[in-house]
Amino acid sequence: MAQKLFKSKTRVLPGFRLTLGYTLLYLSLIVLIPLAAVFWKTSLLTWPQFVQVITSPQALAAYRLSFGASLLAALINSVFGLIVAWVLVRYNFFGKKFVDALVDLPFALPTAVAGITLATLYAPNGWIGQFFEPLGIKISFTRLGVLVALTFIGLPFIVRTVQPILEDFEPEIEEAAASLGANRWQVFWRIIFPTLTPALITGFALAFARALGEYGSVVFISSNIPMKTQIVPLLIMTKLEQFDYPGATALAVVMLVFSFVLLLTINVLQWWANRYNATNLS
Amino acid sequence: MSVEVKNVTKKFGSFIALDNVNLKVESGELVALLGPSGSGKTTLLRTIAGLEFPDPGTAQILFYGEDVTLIPASERKAGFAFQHYALFRHMSVFENIAFGLRVRPKTTRPPEDEIRQRVNKLLQLIQLEPLAKRYPSQLSGGQRQRVALARALAVEPKVLLLDEPFGALDAKVRKELRRWLRQLHDEIHITTLFVTHDQEEALEVSDRVAILRAGKIEQIGSPEEIYDNPASPFVYDFLGNVNLFSGRVHEGSVIIGDTEFSVPETAGETETSTVAFVRPHDIRITREANGDKTFAALVVRSNAAGPVANLELARVNGGVQFTAQLSKEEFQQLQLKTGERVFVELKNVKVFNEDFSI
Repeated sequence: MAQKLFKSKTRVLPGFRLTLGYTLLYLSLIVLIPLAAVFWKTSLLTWPQFVQVITSPQALAAYRLSFGASLLAALINSVFGLIVAWVLVRYNFFGKKFVDALVDLPFALPTAVAGITLATLYAPNGWIGQFFEPLGIKISFTRLGVLVALTFIGLPFIVRTVQPILEDFEPEIEEAAASLGANRWQVFWRIIFPTLTPALITGFALAFARALGEYGSVVFISSNIPMKTQIVPLLIMTKLEQFDYPGATALAVVMLVFSFVLLLTINVLQWWANRYNATNLS
Repeated sequence: MSVEVKNVTKKFGSFIALDNVNLKVESGELVALLGPSGSGKTTLLRTIAGLEFPDPGTAQILFYGEDVTLIPASERKAGFAFQHYALFRHMSVFENIAFGLRVRPKTTRPPEDEIRQRVNKLLQLIQLEPLAKRYPSQLSGGQRQRVALARALAVEPKVLLLDEPFGALDAKVRKELRRWLRQLHDEIHITTLFVTHDQEEALEVSDRVAILRAGKIEQIGSPEEIYDNPASPFVYDFLGNVNLFSGRVHEGSVIIGDTEFSVPETAGETETSTVAFVRPHDIRITREANGDKTFAALVVRSNAAGPVANLELARVNGGVQFTAQLSKEEFQQLQLKTGERVFVELKNVKVFNEDFSI
């Protein structure tokens, strides 16, 4: 098998071995070796120590917040990101280019700046926070604040994955559905939405993964109280500051494995949502 | 009368896509809308389907006497098939065909069993039963267009509208499919309008052909009628290859150079310069001159590949080039070589009174 792969005949595009070698080397240096180091450092712990670190109440609470808030933020972004993408593709209005550029801002803004800005805006005496204060809703320095920050940084992922698919959507398909008697609502749910699903899932996965790893903005908008508003990356940071490297990497391993399983699941889901794009048999 | 279009005008900005069009289609008829691109044929079809609306005014569109001018496509009950099929790619062939039935409101939606039956019947009709579970991306172009047709037929439309249904297919499949469409129409007799820019397709398939030019219907009639009696130089030119000879009209004949060809319908007119139209297959080639009935020409090029031989000739007097079509046998008997001198006789010469420009 391997022989077949490498002893292949003349190709139209040369450089197969060179590029494959480069890819493997690059991935190893950038991704695999650092990840392996995480596992290696963790292995300095004995099994009972490892279990103790990763199942401590503080860690469990941090997982819950990290995964819960990231998931929720990605879901919120899926809904509102879809609406933003829809408006940007379907309608022409004054300042459209400006709004379009605005969408990328969470990508470009240093996360600390975003965290500080959001924390100030949503503080009880902030521009937005003041309207929630009388209702008894506190946003900054609570779990809700974490959700706000994670939603902010995840928005571009949904918009930018859904937008090109919407742009490529042929008006003829909608016209066909209409001529068959479908109303606007049916056209959206039965025709447009299923076509967007694979892109939506991709965007969701990206936003979710990004939120899981977010650190900079969250530390500013969260009060970072263990068991309450502490996310996993922060807990890892705390452990590092105490020179508890094996403990920090143990938590990192848990995050890695969980994220990997989740992303894998999403990939399977995506393959399912995209099943109709099978190879052409004609 | 199943479809009636009255005084329909449609402008896109300053471009006039339809210019006061009137059209009547009998029920059960298969009518082709034929014209070059930009002639408004697709706009007319889309207006009938309710995908475009005519400019306000006296425009009216009637389906079986019922005024549907302002009714949107979703309620008009016109089946529409697109050039690029517009199939729903996330649905199987079966679900594509069933779509129109499934989106009906609960009160008029047939039960699941009946939907299944009807879709299976249509699958039989388009001869794609074994592929019911395939997705559109797994079908060939011809198969996709048949699915699109079945999908449009599933809702039992009052009229079937096809926008260049075979335009995206290769020549061989296109011929097969248009024969199939004709057979299908003979079976189910649904009033059908289809748009095409292929005159051969229009003449072969349809009961009547409407020829459009710049947003107007130039001529409408049976294929024989319009082929044998084209109403204008435009129609004559659009329906097939043509040679132009400038000459003079003189008491029932046209004089080209020193040669006189009889054109009975010009009787009574005298001494006006004109352009004579002759189809390549109406040109006879001989070795011997025949008095004042023929003129001399040189063979410029000959091509005998295919069922007929095509000749390119140039008049000795003036050098104007024209093409002639001969049967293979005639061509072999004549044994023509490039550069040889022959004599040409024109048959079925056609002269139009209006402007000579095409």
